[in-house]
Amino acid sequence: MNTRDPGGPPPIEVRGVRKVFRQTTTGQSVVAIDRLDLTIAPREVVAIVGQTGCGKSTFFDLMIGLEAPSEGTLRIGDKSPHADFDYFRGKIATVFQQDRLLPWRSALDNAKLPLELIGLPEEEQRERALTWLNRLGLGSFINAYPHELSGGMRQRVAIARAFSVQPDIMLADEAFGHLDEVTAQELRDTFLALARESGSTAILITHQLEEAIGVGDRIIVFGKSAKLLADIHVAHWDKSQYGVLREAIQATLQANSPDPRLT
Amino acid sequence: MSHKELGEPVASLGFPRHTLVSLLIFAATWEVLSNLAPFLGIPPFAIPSLVRIAKAIGTITPIDVVVTLARVIAALIVSFIAGLALAMAMYRSDPLEKYLSPIIRLFMAVPVVSWILFAVLWFPGVEFRIGFVLVVVCGPVFMIDTLDAMRSVPRELRHMMRSFRPTTLQFFTKLMMPAIVPTIFTSWKVNISLAIRVVTIAELVGAVTGIGAQLSNAQQLFSVADVFAWTIVLVALLFLLEAIVSRVEHRLLRWRA
Repeated sequence: MNTRDPGGPPPIEVRGVRKVFRQTTTGQSVVAIDRLDLTIAPREVVAIVGQTGCGKSTFFDLMIGLEAPSEGTLRIGDKSPHADFDYFRGKIATVFQQDRLLPWRSALDNAKLPLELIGLPEEEQRERALTWLNRLGLGSFINAYPHELSGGMRQRVAIARAFSVQPDIMLADEAFGHLDEVTAQELRDTFLALARESGSTAILITHQLEEAIGVGDRIIVFGKSAKLLADIHVAHWDKSQYGVLREAIQATLQANSPDPRLT
Repeated sequence: MSHKELGEPVASLGFPRHTLVSLLIFAATWEVLSNLAPFLGIPPFAIPSLVRIAKAIGTITPIDVVVTLARVIAALIVSFIAGLALAMAMYRSDPLEKYLSPIIRLFMAVPVVSWILFAVLWFPGVEFRIGFVLVVVCGPVFMIDTLDAMRSVPRELRHMMRSFRPTTLQFFTKLMMPAIVPTIFTSWKVNISLAIRVVTIAELVGAVTGIGAQLSNAQQLFSVADVFAWTIVLVALLFLLEAIVSRVEHRLLRWRA
């Protein structure tokens, strides 16, 4: 069974999305996302940067369909990830900040998990999971339990788990931020290479500017309440200007308004 | 010899040296007390000698042990299934949890003796009475433990699992059930101990077979050696069941560091 659309991943359209939460203790409403408009083309690799509490994680939950927008629409192709929840089984995969591996499963069984959920035959599950674990350099550790692996290896298993379903859309939420710089860089490169090779649309949520500049075709800068402060196509910038780009994004985040250098 | 070595199991017996030594000291003290009883103004039958107890153990009727064991295991299985099903339903439904929780707490507060009396008043069949008492005592413990364990499954793991869009059945079988297995084993160990004690009391009332019934017979015949013999069998049965559960637990939870 292949859940992938033969026409490639569909575009993502975010129109006037608002997400309001009601605090259980005070009863007050908190606007996490306020009128967000965004379009992400198929196979784009997009980095979303913003400060802590700017609504990045809420946007992540909207994208995976665990939350519904309070207002507006978020559509992937002609479907909603929340309303058409089951439709997207095996089409959207995620890598989280912590590996979130199931401690009672071996590396192989963890990588197989999403394949079990989409109901692939056992043999194909094993074959696919093995392929991805091998590609991520874990061929000798397939029977290891998570507690027997290093942090970087566990995150590799999590990446293998996400890619094993060959998703249309790959989401990574601060997936490399907790690792040491060398491991993080290595994993970032691997993730990026795999995302491009597999033809998935990749969205990386991060608060690290270096990471955003390093991986994205496009950098979307979120201000407070996920206000779209800047939409940067990295290809328009020469590599020698990356320092300026970094400073401009930094200034944008600090002022919560677009820096003139980005317009 | 180091402390560690002292605490290591005696290979041939399979239990720690400390346990063996303390049991031997207890047995020796018992034997001394048994011999001194007449001089201490204690009736000789009250503290029977180890030889008399050993002889009484030799007269134990295996069928009564098997009957008690069967009652305990059957009731624990029914209690576990009922407790697990209720816990899953309550985990899924907040209103159900709000309505059922007070009743469960109420059940847990009722003394075992009261349940036995209710069973005698309500049900004519001895087996059903014993089963009812065991299930009504052990079921809520399984349910509360399971529900607490489900609630303790890390939010991050539930979030990860949901992001892959499992069906409700997959969510429970792939995440919740494996996650609560350690707690389930602990609950089984607690409930085995509880069930062994409760079944004995339940068998005292009206049953003609089982360890409780034989204890009652021994008491009516003033055969203290038999009372001790049946008690030893009961304790041995408890240890055996706990050892079996621990063995299965060790095997199934190899993934733990």
